[in-house]
Amino acid sequence: MIELYHIWKQYQKPYWALSDVTLEIDSGEFCFITGPSGSGKTTLLKIIFREILPTEGQILIDRINILKIPDHKIYKLRRLMGIVFQDFRLMFHQPVFSNVAIPLQITGLPDKEIRRRVFNSLRQVNMHHKMWEFPSRLSYGEQQRVAIARAIVNHPKILLADEPTGNLDPELAFEIMTIFKEINDQGATVIIGSHDRELIRHFGHRIFFLQKGKIVGQEMKP
Amino acid sequence: MIFRQLRYLFRAAGHNLWNFRGRNSFSILIISFSFLVIGMFLALSNNLSYLGEQLSKNLAISFFLDRNLPPEKTEEIKKTIIDSSLIDSVIYVSQEEAQNRFRANFPELKDILDNLKSNPFPPSLEARFKNMAISLTAITAFIDNIKRLPGVLDVQFNQDWVEKMQSLSRLVKAIGFFLGAIFILASFFIISNVVRLNVFARHNEIEIQRLVGATNTFIRIPFLIEGFVIGLVGSLLAIFILFLLTKIFPVYLGGALGAAKQLIALKPLTLEQIIWLIAGGAITGTLGSVTAVSRFLRV
Repeated sequence: MIELYHIWKQYQKPYWALSDVTLEIDSGEFCFITGPSGSGKTTLLKIIFREILPTEGQILIDRINILKIPDHKIYKLRRLMGIVFQDFRLMFHQPVFSNVAIPLQITGLPDKEIRRRVFNSLRQVNMHHKMWEFPSRLSYGEQQRVAIARAIVNHPKILLADEPTGNLDPELAFEIMTIFKEINDQGATVIIGSHDRELIRHFGHRIFFLQKGKIVGQEMKP
Repeated sequence: MIFRQLRYLFRAAGHNLWNFRGRNSFSILIISFSFLVIGMFLALSNNLSYLGEQLSKNLAISFFLDRNLPPEKTEEIKKTIIDSSLIDSVIYVSQEEAQNRFRANFPELKDILDNLKSNPFPPSLEARFKNMAISLTAITAFIDNIKRLPGVLDVQFNQDWVEKMQSLSRLVKAIGFFLGAIFILASFFIISNVVRLNVFARHNEIEIQRLVGATNTFIRIPFLIEGFVIGLVGSLLAIFILFLLTKIFPVYLGGALGAAKQLIALKPLTLEQIIWLIAGGAITGTLGSVTAVSRFLRV
């Protein structure tokens, strides 16, 4: 389903953020990309949802080369995905509800359906009681949960999450991972960039090890 | 679905207008000032055109006839003149009456007349225009028609004054449009920059919308609505201020101006002019937005 061929990414010469990364992720997989800080996890995820373009290489999603999709049609790809950003990317002057509702509002769903789905997503991350709070009044961990609710609200086919449990206590991190697993059980492909070894060991079905921009190994759990 | 999306986009535009109300109000004032300048010059020009029309209506027009023209021919010409939709009344001025008028108006030249063997004044038909708006083109066409009739020697009509008034009206209108164009251009850039600031202030939000799958159109429309509303409200405000000015002007300033009062009075705008001003405001605002958004919203 997601195929990356010889991906190279350079932000600044002479350093390569990614070097010749080739990997294939099947539909419905639950996998982790792990590695130390600066190993290229975020870059790899950003390339998959085409926030940035690779310097070289090809990426196919559902056999479509996403690098050849014109800019004005890229929204179609993004609507297939739910993304949890490392820096959450929340709209701070809008309440939690509006933050979570935005992926649904852009598709023109009825208000009633939007309210139902937003409430369910927030309930999944245990944030439904703070639906009308502004993100600036939430803790770091709560903001992260809002970002997760936004990523899962449109029942994405592919869920990408960059350090989604980075600021959560182990108990909540475990709960969040359970939510991701549930989404995965419903058929979504889940790719998580994380260096939380405990969680990876517990949930990881397939693990890619990145180091200095290179895939240095992968592990498949039965 | 489209209706729901539109409702969302209008709501988003409303939020933006309210959230950035300080700078949006500034844009509204600027655009309002620009359109007020155009509106004032239009109102002045309307007044001058009106004065020109009034002047032409009050002027008598004299058709000098051949002194040997038989009375029935004179009657025919008189009938042709009175049949025109422009003319209110026609009177026949005989040679004697013309001479008497001259004597009365210029008593110091009486001797010259006495020394002449015959009456030098030709008979004439004196016509007055109806009390309605008549264009100079219509008057000229009418005069040309009568001039062609056999027996009509010459026409006397103080066209100069009417023409002067009408060209002054055109000049005022041209100055208004020239100044207005400069101000509109300035407001176009100001709106463009204000929307650009709004785009910049919402950069984070735009980025998020983009990443969760919003189309370029979806992101752009609220900004275009903002520009449209700013332009529309600005021009409506200008028309409202102009309305107040046309009401207040004669009361508070008119007296102080004396004879010049009539010349520089503000005549209310016509419905067509009002519609054009409102449309102009809305278009300026929207175009200002389009420029800002297309330059700074490469999505």
